[in-house]
Amino acid sequence: MVVPLNTWVLISNFKLAYNLLRRPDGTFNRHLAEFLDRKVPANAKPVDGIFSFDVVIDRGTSLLSRIYRLTDGEPSQPNMAELEKPVSSEVVPVIIFFHGGSFAHSSANSAIYDTLCRRLVGICKAVVVSVNYRRAPENRYPCAYDDGWTALKWVNSRTWLESKKDSKVHIYLAGDSSGGNIAHHVALRAVESGIDILGNILLNPMFAGQERTESEKRLDGKYFVTLQDRDWYWRAFLPEGADRDHPACNPFGPKGKNLKGVKFPKSLVVVAGLDLIQDWQLAYVEGLKKAGQVVKLLYLEQATIGFYLLPNNNHFHTVMDEISKFVSSNC
Amino acid sequence: MKREHPNLHPRLDPASTGSSSSGYSTMPSVNTNTNDDTSCKAKMWEDDAQADGGMDELLAVLGYKVRSSDMVEVAQKLEQLQEVMGHVQEDGISHLACETVHYNPSDLSTWLESMLSELNPNPNFDSVVMPAQPSIDDSFFTHPESSTITSIDFADHTHQRHQEQRKTNKHSRDVVFEDSSSSDYDLKAIPGKSVFAQPHLIDSSSSSSRDPKRLKSATTDHLYPAAAAASSSSTIGAGAAGSFGVSTESTRPVVLVDSQENGIRLVHLLMACAEAVQENNLTVAEALVKQIGFLAISQAGAMRKVATYFAEALARRIYRLYPQSAMDHSLSDILQMHFYETCPYLKFAHFTANQAILEAFEGKKRVHVIDFSMNQGMQWPALLQALALRPGGPPAFRLTGIGPPSHDNSDHLQEVGWKLAQLAETIHVEFEYRGFVANSLADLDASMLELRPSEFESVAVNSVFELHKLLARPGAIEKVLSVVKQMKPEIVTIVEQEANHNDSVFLDRFTESLHYYSTLFDSLEGSVSTQDKVMSEVYLGKQICNIVACEGPDRIERHEPLTQWRTRLGSSGFVPVHLGSNAFKQASMLLALFAGGDGYRVEENNGCLMLGWHTRPLIATSAWRLANKQVVAH
Repeated sequence: MVVPLNTWVLISNFKLAYNLLRRPDGTFNRHLAEFLDRKVPANAKPVDGIFSFDVVIDRGTSLLSRIYRLTDGEPSQPNMAELEKPVSSEVVPVIIFFHGGSFAHSSANSAIYDTLCRRLVGICKAVVVSVNYRRAPENRYPCAYDDGWTALKWVNSRTWLESKKDSKVHIYLAGDSSGGNIAHHVALRAVESGIDILGNILLNPMFAGQERTESEKRLDGKYFVTLQDRDWYWRAFLPEGADRDHPACNPFGPKGKNLKGVKFPKSLVVVAGLDLIQDWQLAYVEGLKKAGQVVKLLYLEQATIGFYLLPNNNHFHTVMDEISKFVSSNC
Repeated sequence: MKREHPNLHPRLDPASTGSSSSGYSTMPSVNTNTNDDTSCKAKMWEDDAQADGGMDELLAVLGYKVRSSDMVEVAQKLEQLQEVMGHVQEDGISHLACETVHYNPSDLSTWLESMLSELNPNPNFDSVVMPAQPSIDDSFFTHPESSTITSIDFADHTHQRHQEQRKTNKHSRDVVFEDSSSSDYDLKAIPGKSVFAQPHLIDSSSSSSRDPKRLKSATTDHLYPAAAAASSSSTIGAGAAGSFGVSTESTRPVVLVDSQENGIRLVHLLMACAEAVQENNLTVAEALVKQIGFLAISQAGAMRKVATYFAEALARRIYRLYPQSAMDHSLSDILQMHFYETCPYLKFAHFTANQAILEAFEGKKRVHVIDFSMNQGMQWPALLQALALRPGGPPAFRLTGIGPPSHDNSDHLQEVGWKLAQLAETIHVEFEYRGFVANSLADLDASMLELRPSEFESVAVNSVFELHKLLARPGAIEKVLSVVKQMKPEIVTIVEQEANHNDSVFLDRFTESLHYYSTLFDSLEGSVSTQDKVMSEVYLGKQICNIVACEGPDRIERHEPLTQWRTRLGSSGFVPVHLGSNAFKQASMLLALFAGGDGYRVEENNGCLMLGWHTRPLIATSAWRLANKQVVAH
């Protein structure tokens, strides 16, 4: 099992850096984390036809989101007043994206996620809204979900994001790792509140349970990730004293919610075959199926975590194709 | 052993399905070369000449500068560190996080190396540290005595301070890697615990880049390969957009806070007016400027103020009522003091510059700071105090404060010096001061400053928000930089606005500054004291006016982004001195003390530190030294 060399370097570098940041007592070296994280500013000048700008959508919590859009084919850059110009197509998918980082790492302006979001815009011809949610351990459950919900409400109420066809915002939720987990929970809230979500895209979503699964035992420490670090992140995110059967990490576990009959969005779930938590991700898929929900599983046997960060492997292209189909099939 | 050296471009064409691409280390389905080779073997590739200096483009986009030819070595270092961390106890690892100072994480190779040296400062380590590499030749790690590169007493430093500064460790480590990068070192000897395929070592061209350049004094040369061709580094700064391959043009970062209806209309009007001005359509411009005035009144918060200042500046331009070029310096000093109190930008500037100066002055007995931005001397009390507290006692401190002439007859530069002298006395720092009046920094010559020999006295040159003014006159910046070189400074600290307000196209300049000052004003909104806030806004308003209403030598607020300063300094013979995680952390903590400080962020950018509001960097601190300066031990 081999990954491209530069992918190996990238992910090993993250692993090394992250090891430095997690303290055994459960605290996190946030200053060093921010120092090490490679960030990029938003850019209202289009690059490859895509521009971005940041919006503080909630002053109280300093909640910021980065918005990515396609230029309308105009060569010049949009000026400040045109950033929120109404979308011009009959149907424009709006993807609310939650970056990964196991609830503790990364930001909407992390270079890896800025790059990924730009790809999503190009592939799906969508507007992408990347949410800079509050992170653990400083902000535990349910802060990240609350921020996701705030962002969803904000997106849903932007007239400039409404598709011309029906004057509604066509919303998809997407995320990788912890972001995938957040997408699920935000979708739950949406359903309860009557906001329509057209689909969920979960890339290597982060789930867990109290039990140790076969994949966790088999792959522990083999491909960049250890059970020990997974446990650390859950302890950092979940409420104090909670165990891993908390519905946040185990949505179809003993404390989970029954989704039978619920108008939950269709889901695309991507699982990497070398990800030690795959049993939980597969259990999630099963849970959706049992509840009669529409779900497509994309199982990539040879993939490790983070394969979607660099466009240098087959899995990357496969996944991008699937996402593109998933988002456009609602037209 | 079969050796593969296809000259293949490492970047995949995203359009291809990739099955036959060249960009992989082995993927099982595409490896067609396993005839006689059972072990995983990579297709190695060499970079054909690339404008990016051979950098791996995919990683560059993600913020990491790694030469394709170094990828294997970097992977090896990662593996070594993983190995070490598996064996060292918790404490050993946490020291790397807490006490080690990290620098420039974009340069992966150097960063990893410095951590490796932290974990084994003595190259005569015992075998516990590297157990998994039994087949490595002893010559991989040479003894310090055989080092030809250092004049620092290595033994002293290892024993004195375990968490040594990176430069010391770098010396020891450099020796190690000088050998390891030689072409006959066969990486295949490393047991394949890693996931990546074991490649054959490429050509030895990578070693030529290693050489004595690994010294701190020249390592940073390595980071910015050719001073003249510094554009390669500038593509990967914060200035570059997310995708590599974008030219070195500036980006336009935008943070919006209020997207109210009136805000948008106001911006529309401002932009339309600016466009009319650019096209010399003054009747239209005039009409628009009046409308802006009316609309601005109904607007609340930062947008109203920003719009008002921009409208006033436009009006001045339209009616040719240009602002006085030379403002009373005492008034601008007062405004600046209020700005200093209201928001953390100046404090950050002073703090980070002082940090670099402090580090550069380590071990020096006599120091001389030449301040191009003396004003009220607010930067220096903190430095004096830090020097007073330093282990081993303070150096003798000399300060030369440079400023413009006063309009009244007071010698304000001397007064400032006096106050600092009094402070120095109370904290027992030997202090000498000279105020130097100059209309422009370009009027200075090194001979005027009574410089003493550099072995006797170390010099720091400091400039906070001053250098950009020199861009108003041709040749001025070049003259000043050459004079700075004559001062033989240990360190040059520069803080500048992180913006491009010097575009020759008026409309672009207008747009950029509208974004910039909107963000800046927004950050002021949260501040408590109203009077300070108002004065700060006036202070900033004068800058807006200068940018929008003035031209030629009168337009002195010619802010340029860090990428451009890097190029300029690089081609003038300076190399960067990196600010590290210690400065970053302390600066972040300083920000947390500011009420309404929720939005302020410190960002690391290729060894420089930036302060911004949310995700928009607004000012940047960088430090420099002369390119050909040797590290001299004291």
